[in-house]
Amino acid sequence: MNDHLKDIRPPRWSQRLLRFFLRKEYLEEIEGDIDEVFKDCLEQNSIRKARRLYSREVIKAIRPALIKRLINTQKLNYLSMLQHNLLITFRGFRRHKTTFLINLIGLSTGLAAALLIFLWVDDERSVDTFHEKNDQLYWIKANFENDDGIITWDYTSGRLAQGLLDDFPEVEEAIRVGNGFNRPRGSIGYNENHFLANGLFVGKNFFDVMSYQLLIGNPKEVLQDKSSVLLTEWLAESIFGNAEQAIGKTISWETRFFNREFVVSGIYKAPPKNSSKRFNIILNYENLIDRDRWAGEWNGGYAQTYVVLKEGTDIDLFNQKIARYLDGKATMESFTLTLFAQQYSKNYLHGKFTNGVQDGGRIENVKLFTFIGIFILAIACINFMNLSTAQASKKLKEVGVKKAVGAKRGVLVFQFLSESVLLALISLIVSVGIVALVLPEFNAISGKSLELEFQRYALPILSIVLLTGIFAGSYPAFYLSGFKPVAVLKGTLTNLRGEEWIRKGLVVVQFGLSVIFIIGVIAINQQIKFTEQKSLGYDREAILTFRERGSKFRSPQPFFNELKKIPGVISAGNVSGDFLAGDDNNNGFSWLEGTKEDDNHLFQCPKIGFGLIETLGLEIIAGRSFSPDFQDGIHTIIINEAAAEFMEIDDPIGKTITWTDDQKMEIIGVVKNFQYGSLHNKIEPLIFQFRRSGKQYLIKMRPGTEVETIDQVQKVFEAMHPGQIFVPSLLADDYTELYHVENKVANLSNYMAGIAIIISCLGLFGLAAFTAERRAKEIGIRKILGASQLTIVGLLTKVFTKTVLVAVVIALPLGYYLVNTWLQNFAYAIELQWWFFLIAGASALFVAWLTVGFQTFRAATINPAQSLRNE
Amino acid sequence: MKKTKLGEFEELVLMTVVVLQEEAYGVEIKRELEERLNETLSVGSIQSALKRMEEKGFLTSEFGEATQKRGGKRKRIYSATPYAHRVLKEMKDVRSQLWAAMPNVATS
Repeated sequence: MNDHLKDIRPPRWSQRLLRFFLRKEYLEEIEGDIDEVFKDCLEQNSIRKARRLYSREVIKAIRPALIKRLINTQKLNYLSMLQHNLLITFRGFRRHKTTFLINLIGLSTGLAAALLIFLWVDDERSVDTFHEKNDQLYWIKANFENDDGIITWDYTSGRLAQGLLDDFPEVEEAIRVGNGFNRPRGSIGYNENHFLANGLFVGKNFFDVMSYQLLIGNPKEVLQDKSSVLLTEWLAESIFGNAEQAIGKTISWETRFFNREFVVSGIYKAPPKNSSKRFNIILNYENLIDRDRWAGEWNGGYAQTYVVLKEGTDIDLFNQKIARYLDGKATMESFTLTLFAQQYSKNYLHGKFTNGVQDGGRIENVKLFTFIGIFILAIACINFMNLSTAQASKKLKEVGVKKAVGAKRGVLVFQFLSESVLLALISLIVSVGIVALVLPEFNAISGKSLELEFQRYALPILSIVLLTGIFAGSYPAFYLSGFKPVAVLKGTLTNLRGEEWIRKGLVVVQFGLSVIFIIGVIAINQQIKFTEQKSLGYDREAILTFRERGSKFRSPQPFFNELKKIPGVISAGNVSGDFLAGDDNNNGFSWLEGTKEDDNHLFQCPKIGFGLIETLGLEIIAGRSFSPDFQDGIHTIIINEAAAEFMEIDDPIGKTITWTDDQKMEIIGVVKNFQYGSLHNKIEPLIFQFRRSGKQYLIKMRPGTEVETIDQVQKVFEAMHPGQIFVPSLLADDYTELYHVENKVANLSNYMAGIAIIISCLGLFGLAAFTAERRAKEIGIRKILGASQLTIVGLLTKVFTKTVLVAVVIALPLGYYLVNTWLQNFAYAIELQWWFFLIAGASALFVAWLTVGFQTFRAATINPAQSLRNE
Repeated sequence: MKKTKLGEFEELVLMTVVVLQEEAYGVEIKRELEERLNETLSVGSIQSALKRMEEKGFLTSEFGEATQKRGGKRKRIYSATPYAHRVLKEMKDVRSQLWAAMPNVATS
């Protein structure tokens, strides 16, 4: 053999494959054989051929007779061990029924709570991820920066999409969609029937970029025409009775943007429930440009821009490249716009930006509930740990005998783990039942429509359960299996006290968590009560509100005149935009002559008509309100106190403010500060501008006449706005709706805190029962020696009291910190009161006493003769 | 015949083992058979036949020498058990009886 041939090695991966698959006892021989064949081949053939031969031989050697066995003979032994373990476990369950029940109830409630939270979290996380190009789909946002800071806009120019597509090779596709302020709603008319529309202006390539399902129509064609609309299957069925019949039909549609006829060109499936955007009719974006040319200009911000980036695009690099893209395109004098891309599906959970930096959003609630879920499970696991270690003495002999016979520690660990996993599995069955039972209720509270889809969730749920079982069983398993057999069997192992501090520690953890939950619940509920009761500076009771959705600018005066004839209407007013959203603002106001420095402040700037100030009961502290008796218009404004203070004008009435270079505006009144928007926002300088044609109407009704009044208002509305649908709501309800996230969080946490406390108490109950049982003889002797029942109760309660007190002491500062952090989200929050903490601590202690008391009292009243007799 | 069956390929391998005597290890068996059958065989097919027969009690084996060619791995030398010899003999008898009983038509 040539010397150089010695160094040629067989292909390494084949070698590895062989070593992996082949049975150990055959490996040396067979690998040797193949090596020999390889070397033989090398002598006559090329290296490549030899190596190929080697690989072929390896593959052919993978045969049932030669490879490792999946189930070797030793496993059979495990199987019977498992059987034995199960038997012992079931016997144990039957013998210690109380413990078993406590564990079962605790674990299954805990698991049920965790499962519900898991479903909820999973649903939140899945929002908007259904788009096929989810990984590449980005939302272009803009940071608007002026002297006051940075505000992040999710809307951009209607030309941006095409611009990005043309100028950046990374952009594969781009689309514009009308933004949140430019949604065509109103009503659709067909054959004298009217239907509510919730429309969306979309780019022509809508169905290429987004994965909404087009049922009828060609995705390339359906949106080409400006007079085409697409309906959801559901809407088409309610209008035409049948989706297929809708195609080619003409409908009329009146919104504030247009009132014209459209031809139905396609049918799509309603956005799935985990879509953050909901719309039942879509049309070409160009319709928006026809209405308002700014929608198609660089200076407008009418669109949302989404792009599909090429695979493998470095997003940070892309963000750097597009950041300054708008410079020179849009005219920006006193501010800058910085573009950046955020993954489309991230917008739902991570949609909040503070000063231009991503900061929380819905993800905070997701995190909060994930933690709550984990904590509740931990509390349930702790119950199991405590009860099984506390009852170690009952298992001592079993462990001793098994060890003496030759069981290794690993086998015992396995036994105890299989016990806890089995318990967890039984609990799973119970908890799935519980979940199925309470899911409708849970959906009502959380505002979701969750379903328990077994196939989809089987794997994660099973892994949660296995983890729970292993976690719960780990400590007892290692603790119990560590006993020395000799000591156990001789009976010299009496000092089990050493582990008691761990048990106490675990109880401290449980009650600590429970106390934190209670503090949180008190704070959340107080804050909610506060938001509901806080004086907003205006009246929101008995106020009816609705929108007029017509396309024409018509004077609201005739409608007001009709409304005033209704006896139940005290006053009526109108406003542009949505008053409660509190999102109308403007800059460019100048109140100092001859300087431009002050132009830049962004004022809140609601545009209101006659009667609004009176309807809301806003208090005019100087000057007058808008009134038809004067020539009110763009040149008259009313400011709030905060604005007067901000501009440092002492006597504002009659002063003039200049807006955008040439518009002079006279301050005719000052209104007392009030809350514009939700309490998340601070009261800020505000300027009421006058606009006659606002489309949101607010009507103050005479208390007690609401039902008839709403009826009459509807009649008047429908008579004067033919084809429109009257959708009234109460301002107070809409206001509560502003806090619906907080309300849901509050509701859910109430339940979760309750569950946490119940599970903790269950554990304590078990422990107390056990302690009372173990100390039965001691109690008997004490009683014989003259101890009163009270002394005994005190004796037994003292231990638990101390533990719970420690828990309270540790939990209070933690709870304070956490709750304080949460309250920072509100501009106007409650002060944390000392009694929150007192109540939390005291109720934990009280509940603990109640739980333990029952057991101790029973132990104390038992006849000592009974406990001492049998020895 | 015995319940333990000997497949056709197994029988060939077994006979090769007997023929090769002390040289009866994997690769040598493969070489010998390849020559006689005039076809290529894989190590795996020979080995799985050997292992199966060892399990059934036709073969015993022990480690032999290690060579450089084999990367320092030892050979395993196989030898047939008396039981295997008996089974081989029986099969040969059955065959020759059948041959004898066959009419002459088949051979031409």
